[in-house]
Amino acid sequence: MRILRIMAVVLALPLSLAVSAQAQVVAKTALTLDGAKRTITAAVAEAKRINAPGGAIAVVDDGGNLMALERLDNTFAAGANISIGKARTAAVFKHPTKAFEDIINRGRTTMVALTDFTPLQGGVPIIFEGQVIGGIGVSGAASAQQDEEIALAGAIVAKDFAAKGANGARSKVTYIDREKVASAFAKGAPLIEVEEYKVHASRREAAGMAEVHMRETDVIYVLEGTATFVTGGTVVDGKVTTPGEIRGTGIRDGETRRLAKGDVIIVPERTPHWFKEVEAPFLYFVVKPISPSGGSK
Amino acid sequence: MTRPKSIAAALVLAAFASTAHAQLVDKKVLTLQAAKKIAAAAEADAKKKNARVVIAIVHDGGNLILLERLDDTQVASVNVGIGKARTAAIFRRSSKEFEDQIRTGRIAALALPGATPLQGGVPIIFEGQVIGAIGVSGETPSQDEEIAKVGASVVK
Repeated sequence: MRILRIMAVVLALPLSLAVSAQAQVVAKTALTLDGAKRTITAAVAEAKRINAPGGAIAVVDDGGNLMALERLDNTFAAGANISIGKARTAAVFKHPTKAFEDIINRGRTTMVALTDFTPLQGGVPIIFEGQVIGGIGVSGAASAQQDEEIALAGAIVAKDFAAKGANGARSKVTYIDREKVASAFAKGAPLIEVEEYKVHASRREAAGMAEVHMRETDVIYVLEGTATFVTGGTVVDGKVTTPGEIRGTGIRDGETRRLAKGDVIIVPERTPHWFKEVEAPFLYFVVKPISPSGGSK
Repeated sequence: MTRPKSIAAALVLAAFASTAHAQLVDKKVLTLQAAKKIAAAAEADAKKKNARVVIAIVHDGGNLILLERLDDTQVASVNVGIGKARTAAIFRRSSKEFEDQIRTGRIAALALPGATPLQGGVPIIFEGQVIGAIGVSGETPSQDEEIAKVGASVVK
């Protein structure tokens, strides 16, 4: 038995090595300096909103190492190190520091013996898709409670922009297989919509409304059918339907074209356009680059 | 000639008179806003050089007010960067001076408490007073210092 077992181990070893050779590393979502700065900006805004008397705000990565720190004017000097400690504790212990303060206050005093540990309310982990990617720590506001409120305001924002960064156009290759594309064209549906662009598998059975997109350029490639397409001119009865989108009943003084399979037409942002007549089914592939909004970037 | 002398005496008297009330002085203090400008200038220079660095800015007391670790910078540079800034602030001179002293034989300077005797920390000076310092760590000593100087030069 013993020999067999050893043999099994010997045989299994190279195999398991080979398998794990492909899995010695994993992809990990990490916070960038830009992310850290935005977290701090949100926390500072919250501190101002609740009239905090001061605040040192630190953001660390998942290893607890400092990425960015700001100490608001007049915040006590020691706040800097305390905020780093709180952020670090929240990140490497993967819990809000309040949890440890509570445990200790309830009587588990031995916990203060932990090294590199700041069990004081005001540090919270920064979480993205269930993973702790860092921590934010705040010290120097009116109370420990307020420290934590400010930290939470920062951590929440981090969740938002992280989603954009990780799923956004620049960071990921998107593959949509032919079956999904075909089923999208069957009903006319978006293939992908991200911050930087949209791609639609569009289908028209009838004429549409006149449209204006304030931030989207339409790059259209006709796959099937024919349509009368009007561009430019003035939108009739134009109304803002959603921010950046205008719809109307038609176009006056526009330029009319007949679109057919194989044609490409590019409609810049802010240019009225209208599928006036459609010979169904009219299928077209649209790429819509989105220009950044004026305010936020 | 006597008249200027008496004016000088009067000035000395006036100075005494004012110091009688001078248990306190006004001190120029670096604001977070100014620190951000300094960091932005240093960051721009670092990016131009393709440098991966930590930029730390401290008050005159050596306490951190702002820190940025550029993406992909070695994490150990956080503490080194703070140390360089702190050294430049509380000793009121570039941290390079200590590195030079040690290199030229004054090994004892290693024993200075609270000093990080590594090039890359530069005082931030306003009207002749050290109001803080910037420390940069992550690349070569001379490059770190160049970036720190670009930041410090924002304050004039």
